[in-house]
Order: sequence, then C-alpha cells, then structure tokens
Amino acid sequence: MNDIRKPMSEEYAQYLRDESQKTGTASLIAFPKTTEETAALLALCNQERLPVTVQGARTGIAAGCVPAGGLILNLSRMNRVLGCRRLESGSFAFRVQAGVILSEFAGAVESKRFSISGWDEDSVDACRMLMKGGDFFFSPDPTERSATLGGMAACNASGARSYKYGSVRPYIVALRAVLADGRPLSLRRGACFAQGRRLNVSLDDGGCIEATLPSYRMPDTKNTSGYYASPDMDAIDLLIGSDGTLAVITELEVTLLPQPGCIWGMLAFLPGREEALDYVLRLRAMDEGALASIEYFDAGALEILRRQRTGNAVFASLPEFSESAGAAVYTELHCEEAKEALALLGRAGEALEAAGGREEETLVARTRSDLLALQFFRHAIPESVNLLIAQRKKECAVITKLSTDMAVPDRHLAHMMEYYHDALDREGLQSAVWGHIGDNHLHINILPRNAAEYDKGRALYTLWAKEVCRLSGAVSAEHAVGKLKVDYLEIMYGKAHIDEMRALKKAFDPLCLLGRGNIFAGRGAM
Amino acid sequence: MRMTVCVKQVLSTGEVRMDPVTNTMIREGRQSVINPFDLHALEAAILLKERLGGEITALSMGIPTVEALLRDAIARGADRAVLLSDRAFAGADTLATSRTLAAGMGLIGGFDLILCGKMAVDGDTAQIGPELAEALDIPHVADVCEILTANEYSIQVRQAAGYGFCTLEVALPALITVTREANRPRMPSLAGIRRSRTAPLRLADSGELALEPCRMGLNGSPTRVVKTFVPVRERVCRPVEGSPSRQAAALLDMVKEVGI
Repeated sequence: MNDIRKPMSEEYAQYLRDESQKTGTASLIAFPKTTEETAALLALCNQERLPVTVQGARTGIAAGCVPAGGLILNLSRMNRVLGCRRLESGSFAFRVQAGVILSEFAGAVESKRFSISGWDEDSVDACRMLMKGGDFFFSPDPTERSATLGGMAACNASGARSYKYGSVRPYIVALRAVLADGRPLSLRRGACFAQGRRLNVSLDDGGCIEATLPSYRMPDTKNTSGYYASPDMDAIDLLIGSDGTLAVITELEVTLLPQPGCIWGMLAFLPGREEALDYVLRLRAMDEGALASIEYFDAGALEILRRQRTGNAVFASLPEFSESAGAAVYTELHCEEAKEALALLGRAGEALEAAGGREEETLVARTRSDLLALQFFRHAIPESVNLLIAQRKKECAVITKLSTDMAVPDRHLAHMMEYYHDALDREGLQSAVWGHIGDNHLHINILPRNAAEYDKGRALYTLWAKEVCRLSGAVSAEHAVGKLKVDYLEIMYGKAHIDEMRALKKAFDPLCLLGRGNIFAGRGAM
Repeated sequence: MRMTVCVKQVLSTGEVRMDPVTNTMIREGRQSVINPFDLHALEAAILLKERLGGEITALSMGIPTVEALLRDAIARGADRAVLLSDRAFAGADTLATSRTLAAGMGLIGGFDLILCGKMAVDGDTAQIGPELAEALDIPHVADVCEILTANEYSIQVRQAAGYGFCTLEVALPALITVTREANRPRMPSLAGIRRSRTAPLRLADSGELALEPCRMGLNGSPTRVVKTFVPVRERVCRPVEGSPSRQAAALLDMVKEVGI
C-alpha cells in the first residue's frame, strides 16, 4: 500500500488545534478512508515508533485530538454510512464510519435519505422498511453537532437530552477498532465480558489482549473521567470513552429510538439562582420519564445573551426576556401525545409558580420553528462565550476558555452551586454558568479579563475539582479528560488508580503511541 | 382597535415531499402549523393592541382540527377565534375562500382592521388578502413591512414595493397583508396556553353564513386544476480528473458542449 502520510505544512496548520484553542505539534498527517488504510498506517507508525493522535472533526474542548508530535490520523474522510439493519425491537441500527458527522447522520435519519451505494441487499431492504415505517431519531445530542460519531464514541459524548436518554454509550452496539500495532478488532455488545477484573479481548487475526481492569469504583453520576471500568463489564464499554488512547475506533454500529410523537420545549425565567434550583428540584420530583432535558442558565449567561441580542445581528432573533430575569431553566418534554404533554406542561407551570417563577414569562415551543428558536437560545450561550474569550485572548494571549465539566450526585447539587458562586464572588471573577442541571452537571465558565484573573480562575478550577471529588463526583462528565484535565483525574482517582489505568493502556498499546498526553501526563505508561 | 387575523393551516416543513404516483403532497408524519406569514400578521395585531388596546379575533376556514391552531393563535396573543368548518367549503379556490371568510366576518361583528399574512407557504398565491378586502369592499395594502402609525381612523404603513418602499395611509376599516420583515413573532407563553384552553372559540358551518351555496366550496370556485405534476430535474454528474491543465481543458469542452 502507498504511504498516504503527508508532511505537515502551513496548509494543515488548523489540524494542530481543536475547539479548546490548544495547539500541538506533528510531523505528518494522514486522511485514511477505510479501516484497512488506518490499520496499514498504524502498523507503519508502530514500526517507526511514531506517536499517533486520532482526530475527527476537532470539535472537542479538552484538547483530546491536539497532537503531541508524530502523526495526525484524521478520520474525517471516513464519512460513509455503510449499512442498516432492522432490530427485533422494530428499531434500526446503522453501521457508520467513524468520521460521519452527527448533524448529517441525524439529518439523514430524519429525512430517511441515505447514500446507499455499496450497501448490501439486506441493508437496502432494511432501509426500505425504515422509509415505510414510523419516524426514528438518534438521541445523543451534544451542543456541537458538527462532531463526528467516532469522536463522540471516543469521549462518550452526551448533551442536553442525556437527562432522559443518557450518553452515546448505550446506543453503540458494535464497533471496529485498530490497535496501535495495526491489528484490527471487532466488538459487539453482549459478546465479550470481563471475568471480574480480568479482560480478554480477541483480535480479528486470532490474537488476544489480556488486561486487568482498574479497581476504582466509578462515580454514580454522568461520567467520562478516565477508563470505564467495572467488574464483569462488557468489553465494548472500555473502548467507548477511552479518549483515543487504547485503539482507533474506525467503525460503529449505532441504534435509533422511535421518535416521540410530541416534542415541546419550555423556557422559564426566574428571579435568581435559588428559585431556579427550587424549580429544578420540583421538576425532577414530578418527572415520570417524559422530561428529556433540564438545562440551567445563570444571571451571567443571561447578561451575555442580552448584550449579544442587541449588539450582534447573528443573535438578533433570540427570544426576548425580562430585564429582571436572574436565571432561566429550559426543559424539553418528549411525550407520545399532545394531551400528555399539555398535562405535564400544566404541572410544570404549577412547580414554576411555587418556586417563584411566572407562567406569563415562560415561553413554550410546540412547533418545530419555535423549538429551533429555543434550542438556538440554548446554543447561543456557549457560542457567545467563545466569541468573548477569543476577543479577550487578543488583548491577553495567556487567556483560554476555563470551563468546568464536573458532575455530582443529586444530593450535592445545591451545595455545589453555592460553592461555585461563593468562590466566584470572593475572587471577583466574571462568569457565565449554564448546563445540564438535571444531571447535576453545570459548566462554570470563568471569563478572565487579564492574566491575573486567569490564574485565579485556574486555581478555582482545582479547588472545585477537589470538592467535587470529595463529594464522589466526576471531574469530567461529558467532554472527557483529554489533555486539559489530566491533573484533575489524578485528584479524582489518586496515583494508584492512575497507575492501574496506565497498566491497562500498556496492554493495548505497549509502546504508548496512541493519544499521547490524553488521560495521562507525559508519555502515558512511562 | 377591533382586529381580525386570518390564519391558515399549513404543513410544518421546509421540504415539501410529493407522492410521485398521485402528484399530491405527502402529509403523513408532518405537523400542521399556522402559516408562518400569518404569525407575522398576528404579531402585528398584538403590537397594535399593546399600543392602542382592543381585541383580536383569529379567523380560519378549515377542517375541525384547525381548532388546535386557532387555540395556538390565542396562546400567542389573540383573544378569541372563529372557525368556519363545513364539508360545503371543501375544494374552495381563493375566490370561494375569500367570499367565505368575508361572510365569516359577519359573525365577528364590527371590525377596524383585518390582517393577513402576505401569502400561504403552500399555495403561494397571495390572493386571499386582496380578494377578501374586495369582497368586503374595504381598502387594502398588500406587502406591509412596517406599521408606522395607527389610530382609530387610519393606519400608516410602509409597503415593500419592488426595489423600494411606499409609505401609505389608509382609512379604517381596512385590510393589510404582512411580510416577514414586519416583526418577529413571539412564542406562546405558558399562561397563554392555559388561557387558550378555555378562551371563546366559535365553530360555524355554512348554514350560519350569509352566503349562497353556489358561491362557496368547489361549486363557487371558477379555478379548475387540470393537472398537477412534480417537475423532473435531471442532473448528470461527470467527474473531472487528471492534472489541473487536463481538468481545465475538460471543463472548457463541457462549457462549449452546453453552448455557454
């Protein structure tokens, strides 16, 4: 096979960084189109002892795909949907290459239009059945919809709707991957389990990987901090969320869910944080499974949106809201029928009024265009903060985005919210807080105005990580550890467990060539 | 100010899918919504009501399920609604529809201003507003992109007119059709949805309208649809490969081939 690696040049400069704005180094780059090409590239790099960093769409914000020397293995050209199969449940599973973009896949599922060239007859038949039957959807919905499905698998991505549907993990039923030495493996959910903490994974060439799983107990929260590990676990779950450090995921099979008959959104504005928390706790208490997401926005986030709405034409279509609003909560209702959604809306309204909100100031989206408007409101906040940080970086180069991704168990949500805000007030830092409050998972965004504030912000991040770990929480709930949260992972699990993870990595990647700098400091197993 | 906003039910989709056999729209699985232009008309009425006070009635001709859309209009800010629904209205073209709506206005009582969307996104005729005004013998301004001033006697509007704008003042009662540029329609509030469930909605059939049967529905429609078809667009993709100079030469041949 031809060596499809190209030397790095100015043309490829963008591939040295991701959305975290961290920049790395690399000497070569390659854009394989198949698992076989990927395997050949990895075998070559293994012979040359060349480190390899896997990339998808580079939308991550933990610097997981920022290269640490060697080869950039960019999978964005592995963007084909390979086939389809009907499941016994009546739903469908799609086999995709790792570089398929989420928004394109979700759009194809919605419109039931796929490029079927190269599909086998069974897949074409299954696709026909999909076209004739009801509507389905792919539930994982990270804010960044230009992410690749492979990237989502690598960091076990989730998103707003994870409150009801969880992360991408349970929707991945099979995957193909390639080890650092070029040997491929295929895993199917339910086919290969650990025996206690001992794991044997068969390779396609008849070989086998023997490994010992780390002995830590994972937090009882949304979590993508380090390797997924539990006794008797399914082997497929180890590769999901492994941050490109164990093997290169090249193909996945993902399942769809039946589309709810009725999807409504509700954006409530409240006087402040305490009222919003009260409302959220009431919502959670009344929920019987129809609430798909519960999202929070604090006064700082709303203030940024107010400014954007009037000062930036792109955001002019944002819905108007009262000057007195000090917090907002977005909820998405997924019901079978409008009657059911209406009853739920009524109960949510009662919860809102009891918590100090007003039904008059609560927006409800019952049509697709209204729902898109509310989702735009949700997505406009991170977008605006990125713009703000980029602007401040021009004035002070050391400034980068300081955004937390930590989750705590239910009982500690109120304490953690106070803890975050007390620290921000004490240090006098500007901030915007939003995120998945339903899962006790808020993104605290510190917005430093100068280098001194940036340092203060970093110190707070560490302080919060310690507190979250003390409360049995996770230092990364959905963005993965990447290169930016390595220190926090050690706070969470301690050195002994990190060493267990190193040993596990070494079983898969003895030379520590894959995803250098992710999860582990330095060269991983050194 | 007493205002009536005409609303039409359309399918919620940017992508109209046609049945290749029957040449009709595939409605299955698509949500029915208020015609997006009509939401701008409703918002214009709500803004006027906020300035001048008054009452807004939403009016529609359609099948019984349109009641849900009229209740949506109430949730967004209308006070009450009238639904004209009868099998006798079926098959109406724009002329019969506007006559029926004009007769429906008789059930509402007096009015100062009727607001319609510029057009419906399914039919694209933009005829209902002007025809309704003619049927009621009142002045109208189409394509209103801004309401400048209004009082109990007249309304001054800006009309999008080709390459520019006209500022027009029209005596009330009158009818205007509203464009997308006029405003940003608000979303319903939770309180509005609660109100809409019990707000007055009158359901009227053909017997309640002062309109002869031969002037409504298919019988009252001079328009005859002779044939509908889905236009076939044939696209051929020819990959151009080779060195840049070969590709340029191949492109030049293609340009010559199609006679550009």
